[in-house]
Amino acid sequence: MTSETGFDVRKYDRFPTQEPRPDGELEQLEAAWCGPRRPGEWITAINNNIIGVYYVGAAMLFFVLAGVLALLMRTQLALPMTGFLPQETYNQIFTMHGTVMMFLFAVPAVEALGVLLLPQMLGARDLPFPRLGAYAFWAYLIGGLAFFCSLFFGLAPDGGWFMYPPLTGMTYSPGINADFWLLGIGFIEISAIAGAIEIIVGVLKTRAPGMTLDKLPVFAWAMLIFACMIIIAFPSVILATLLLELERALGWPFFDPLKGGDPMLWQHLFWFFGHPEVYIIFLPAAGAMSTIIPAMARTKLVGHSLVVMAMLATGFISFGVWAHHMFTTGMPQISINYFSAASMAVSVPAGVQVFAWIATIAAGKMRFSTPGLFAVGGLIIFVMGGLTGVMVAMVPFDWQAHDSYFIVAHLHYVLIGGMVFPLFAAIYYWLPMSSMRPLSERMGKWIFWLMFAGHNIAFLPMHLTGLMGMPRRVYTYLPGRGWDLPNFISTIGAFLFGLAVLLWVVDMVRNFRPFGPREAGNIHDGPGLEWLPSGYYSVRSVPLVKSLYPLWEQKGLAKQVEDGRWFLPGAAGGERQTLVTSPLNAEPQYVLRLPRPSPWHVFGAVFTAGFFLILTIQAYAAAVISGVLAVYCIMRWCWFLDTPHSRQTTDIGAGIRVPNYVSGPSSHGWWAMVIVLIVGGMVCLLAGFSYVFLWSRRPDLWQAPPEMTSMLLHLGVLALAGLAAMAAPRILRRAATRPETVATGLLVISAAAVAAGVGLELKAWWSVGLKPDVTSQGASVFALLGWSAAFAAIGALMGLYILLRRAFGRVSAERPSTVDLIGLFLTYAAGQAAAVLLLVRVFPGAGS
Amino acid sequence: MRFIGAAFTALGLLGLGACADKADAPRALAGTDPAEGLRLIQSRGCAACHKIPGVAWPEGRTGGSLAGVGARPMIAGRLPNQPEVMAAFVRDAPSLLADTGMPLMPLTEAEARDVAAYLYTLDDD
Amino acid sequence: MLSGWPPPVLDPAGPFAGPVTVVAWVLFVMGAVVLAVVLVALGVALFGPRKWKRRVGGERLVWMGGLAFPVVVLTALLIYGLSVTARVSDAPRDGEMRVRVTGEMWWWRVAYLDDQGRETVQDANEVHIPVGRPVVIELESADVIHSLWVPRLGGKTDMIPGRRNFMRIQADAPGVYAGQCAEYCGGPHALMGFVVVAHAEADFAAWQAKQAAPAAPSALPGAGVFSASGCGACHTIRGTEANGLAGPDLTHVGSRQTLGAGILPNNQGTMAGWIADSQGIKPGNRMPSYPVLTGRELRDLAGYLDSLK
Repeated sequence: MTSETGFDVRKYDRFPTQEPRPDGELEQLEAAWCGPRRPGEWITAINNNIIGVYYVGAAMLFFVLAGVLALLMRTQLALPMTGFLPQETYNQIFTMHGTVMMFLFAVPAVEALGVLLLPQMLGARDLPFPRLGAYAFWAYLIGGLAFFCSLFFGLAPDGGWFMYPPLTGMTYSPGINADFWLLGIGFIEISAIAGAIEIIVGVLKTRAPGMTLDKLPVFAWAMLIFACMIIIAFPSVILATLLLELERALGWPFFDPLKGGDPMLWQHLFWFFGHPEVYIIFLPAAGAMSTIIPAMARTKLVGHSLVVMAMLATGFISFGVWAHHMFTTGMPQISINYFSAASMAVSVPAGVQVFAWIATIAAGKMRFSTPGLFAVGGLIIFVMGGLTGVMVAMVPFDWQAHDSYFIVAHLHYVLIGGMVFPLFAAIYYWLPMSSMRPLSERMGKWIFWLMFAGHNIAFLPMHLTGLMGMPRRVYTYLPGRGWDLPNFISTIGAFLFGLAVLLWVVDMVRNFRPFGPREAGNIHDGPGLEWLPSGYYSVRSVPLVKSLYPLWEQKGLAKQVEDGRWFLPGAAGGERQTLVTSPLNAEPQYVLRLPRPSPWHVFGAVFTAGFFLILTIQAYAAAVISGVLAVYCIMRWCWFLDTPHSRQTTDIGAGIRVPNYVSGPSSHGWWAMVIVLIVGGMVCLLAGFSYVFLWSRRPDLWQAPPEMTSMLLHLGVLALAGLAAMAAPRILRRAATRPETVATGLLVISAAAVAAGVGLELKAWWSVGLKPDVTSQGASVFALLGWSAAFAAIGALMGLYILLRRAFGRVSAERPSTVDLIGLFLTYAAGQAAAVLLLVRVFPGAGS
Repeated sequence: MRFIGAAFTALGLLGLGACADKADAPRALAGTDPAEGLRLIQSRGCAACHKIPGVAWPEGRTGGSLAGVGARPMIAGRLPNQPEVMAAFVRDAPSLLADTGMPLMPLTEAEARDVAAYLYTLDDD
Repeated sequence: MLSGWPPPVLDPAGPFAGPVTVVAWVLFVMGAVVLAVVLVALGVALFGPRKWKRRVGGERLVWMGGLAFPVVVLTALLIYGLSVTARVSDAPRDGEMRVRVTGEMWWWRVAYLDDQGRETVQDANEVHIPVGRPVVIELESADVIHSLWVPRLGGKTDMIPGRRNFMRIQADAPGVYAGQCAEYCGGPHALMGFVVVAHAEADFAAWQAKQAAPAAPSALPGAGVFSASGCGACHTIRGTEANGLAGPDLTHVGSRQTLGAGILPNNQGTMAGWIADSQGIKPGNRMPSYPVLTGRELRDLAGYLDSLK
C-alpha cells in the first residue's frame, strides 16, 4: 500500500502494544473528558455524547409536535364541512406541519444521529468542531421552539411549507406570519449547514487509522453524502428566503411580475433545494438501514460498494430533478421530458439499495427484534412510495395526480418508509449505546405493528381520494363526492399512528436512561466501532481498523481497546484531543486539541436566534443590539482557540509522535473554511442564475450599466484586495522582520479594499439611476452586490479581529492558522465581488 | 336580521304563541317521503339560510335553525304550524307572509310536501 | 351508484383525459407487479428454504433486481410516457375555440374570445363548451397562483401571475363536469370550485347567443334594490348601469349552475342566503355579507338576480 501522507504504514505493525500502560493514564483521560458536574455544565457541555442526545431529543420533540398538528388536521377532515378548526387556523396548521416535519424534524433528526454516532463509528473522541456543533444545536432548539410557538399567537405562517409567492408576498400576506417562516427557517438552515461542516470534516479527517475509504462504514458514507448535499442544496433556500424577505420588507421585485419579477423564480430556487432535500433526508436513513439490516441478519451487507455507488448516484441525480414539482406550470415540452427522465432515473439507485437489503436478509438469518421489524416494514412502505413516485414521474399522470391527495399519499409513503421507520429502527438499535437500559422489546413490537397498520390505514386510501379529485391543502370538502369514507378511514389510521408514537414516548420515559456510568452496550452484537466500550471520551484507545466489520472480524478488539493498546490511549497534558487522519487512507497526521465547554457559544446561539426573531417582530433597534452581542460572543469564543501548546508533538502510542498543530490544507480549520466558502459561492451562483433568469423574462427593463472605466477601477481595487489577502500567510511564514505586523497590515488593507471595491460599485449603479425597488434588474443587481457587501462586512469584522489579536500579541508565525483562514476568506470575498461585478456589467452588455 | 326581528315582534303582538298546542293537529302528510325531502333540501341548498339537522353543510344563519321545527307551534313565528301550511310555505313563502325574506323556492307541490314531511321529522328541540 | 365512484380520474370524458386513464391503469399494473416481485423476494429472503435463500442472497440479485429490472421497466415507461405527453399536450391550433379563464381569489373570471382574441362574452365560475371538439383554455391569474383542474376532462394547469398558460379540453358527451382549484391559494382555497358544461353543438350556439345578449330591462323591484345597495360597484350587469369589475359579471347569473364558485346550487333561496351571509358560507371570500337588507329587499334582490337567465 502506498502512503498518502508519507506516513510509514509499517508502523501499524507495532499495535496492539504489549507494554503496560503508565499509571494514571486512564484517570487523566477521564478527568479531561469528565461530564457535567454542576447543573450549568449541562448547558455549556459540548461533548457529542451529550449534545447528540439533546439533538436527537429535540428533533423527536418536534416530530411529536408536528404529529399532533397532523392529528388536528385529520380530525378536521374526518367528515365533510366540519367546523373543528376554522379555516385560518387550519391553513396555519398544515403549513406548520410540513415546515416543522421537514425543517425541524427530518433534517435535524438525521443530522443529530450523525452527531451522536459518527465519532464513535469513526473511532474519534469527538467531532472536530464541538463548539460549533453545540452552537448549531442551541440555535436550532431556541429558534425552532420560538418558531413553533408562533402558532399559539395566531402568527404562524399560512402560505404552505413551499411558501409560493405572490401568495406569501406583502400584498396577500401582510402580517408577520410569513416573516416568521422566512427568518425562522432561513436561520435554522444556517444551523443545518454548521452541522454539515462538522460532519464532512469529521468523516474525512477524524477517522481511526487504517479506516480507508473502502472500510468506511456505510452510514458514514451516507452522512458524508448527506452533508455535501446540504452544502449544495441549502444555499438555494437561503437565497430564496433572503430574496422574498427583501421583496416583503423593502419592495425589491424579484417575484412581482408588475416590475419584472417572476413567481416561477421562487419555484426554481425552492425546488432546487426542495427535491434534493427529500434525498438529504432519505440517504442517512438508508445508511442506517444498510447498517442495521446486516447486524440484524448477522451477515455482511451484500453489494456494499454497489450501495455506496448508489448513494453517490442518488446525490448527483437528485440535483437534476427539481422541476418535476412544476410539470403543471406550463414549462416547455423539452424540459418536461428531461425532468421526467431524470425523475425516473433517480429511482434506480433506490432500487439497488432495496435489493441489496433483500439480498442481505437472504444471505443471513433475520432476527425479528424491533429494529429488524422497523427495517423490514420501512422497506415495504418505501418501495410502495417509490412506485407511486415512478407513477408521478410520468408526466400525463402527474397532470392528474399533482397537488391532489395522491401526492399526499405518495410523499408520506416515501418519507415515512424511507425515513421515519428507519429512524425508529435506528433508535431501537442504537439506543443501548447511550442508555443504561435498552427499550422494551415487547412494547417495541406493539409500536411497530400499530405504526405499520396505522400508516397504511391512513395513507393507502389517500391514493383513492386523490383520484376522486380531492386537492391537497384544503381545510374542508363538500359532501356528496364520495370523499367522506376514505377520509374517515384515513383519520382512524392517523390516530393509530399517533397511538404508536404515544406508546414509544411511554417506552422512552420508562427505559431511556442516558449519561449513566455504564451503557447497556452491544446487545444486538453489532459489528461497528460504535459498540466498543466507551465513556465521555469515546473509546479508551483508537483502534487500527482492518475491516468493514471490525468487531466481527478483529478478534479481541474490545479488550485491547479498553486496555489502551491502540492509538492515543491517554489525554497528554490533560487536554481533550482527537486524532486527525488523512482523507483517503486515514493515516495519522496530527493531534487536534479540542475545545472545552464554554458559555460563549450558548450565548452566541441565544443572541443569534434573538437577532432573527426580533427582526421578525420588527423591533429593529433590539435586533441590532442582539446581533452585536452575538458577534461579540462568537469572537470571544474564537479568541482562545489558537493559543500555543506546551509541547510540539504528542506520542500517539508505540512511540509514534505526530505534531500537535498543523496549518494549511491539511488542517481541519482550512477544510471548514473552504466548505463555508462553497456555501457562499453556491448562494452567489444561484443569485447569478436569478439575475439571468429575470433578465430572460423582461430584457426590455434592463438599463445600461455605468461607464466602463469605473468597472476597471473597481476590479483593480478588488485585485489589490485579493493579492494582499493571498500574500499575508506567505509573508507571515517568510518575512524576516516583524512578519506578524506586516501580515496583519496586509489583511486589514485587503478587508478595506474589498469593502471599497464593493462600495464604489454600489455607488456607481446608484448614480446611474438604478434603484432596487423599481425593476427586477435593480433588485437583482443590488442583491448580488449586497451579497458581496455582506462578505465585505464579515471581512471587515475579521480585519478588526486580527488587529485586536495583533494588539494583544496573539498573532504568531508559528501558529499561522488564523492568518491563513482570514486570508482565504478575504481572497474569496474579493474574487466573488469581482465575479459579481463582471456579471452585472458585462451581461447582457452595455448595448441592451 | 331585521325580518326575523319583525317576525318576533309580530309574534309578541298577536300573542298567538301562547295558545298553540303541540298536539294541535295531525302533522302528517299522506303519500310523502321524508327521505326524498332530505334529498331535495340538499339539492336545492336550503341550508344556505338554515341550519338543518341531517345536512352537514352549509349551516346558514340567515333564516335561523330548523332544529325542532316540526314541534314548534308556529311557522316563521306567525303562521300556524300545520302540514298544508308548511308545504305551501317552503315553496312560496311570500304569498303567505308578504314581508318574509324567504324567496320562492324551485319546488313542485309534490316536492314541497316531501320537504315538509322531512321537516316534521325534526321534532326534537 | 356509490357517489364518487368511479373516481373521476379513472372515468375520462374526453380525448385529453382518456389516454391518461390508460396510463394510470398501466402504471397501477406495473406497480402491482413490481411490488409483488419485491414482496416475493423479501418473503423468500425472510422465510424461504435455504436453497431458495442462497439464490436470492447474492450480489446477482442486486444487479438483476436493483439495476437491470428497473432500467428496462423505466425505459419502456418513459418512452410510452413521452409519447402520451406529446399526444395530449400539443399546442393550440388556429381556429380552435378559445376561452380565457382568470383565477381570482377564490373564483374564476371567464371570457370567451373571438378569432382576434378579443373578449366577447363574460361569465364566471363555469365554462360552456360544445361537445366533440377541442377548446383551448387560456389560463391567467389576477392575484396569486391558482390551478384549474377538471379531472374527467384532463390534467391540471397552473395560472401564474405574469404568464399565460394553455390547456385543451374536450368533452365527448353533454353534461356537467366538476372541477376545483388545485393550487393552494390561501383562505377558502378549499371552496373554489368550477364546472364545465358541455352542450350539443346546436344547444351551444343557442346558449352562446343568449349569453352574448345584454340583460333585458327589468321592472322587478329587486333591480332597484340592486342599484340602491351599491352592488354595481363590484358587479357588472350588461344593459344596466352596473359596471363594477371586482366581482363576477352577473348579466346572466340566474342561468349559472352554481353560486359561490361551485359550492351552492343556484336558485332564489340560495341567492338570498349567499347575499345575506356570504362570509358565513365561504369565510374570507371577497364578497361582504349583507345582513342589513330587510327580508323583503333580500327576497326581491334574489328574485331579480334569479331572473337574469
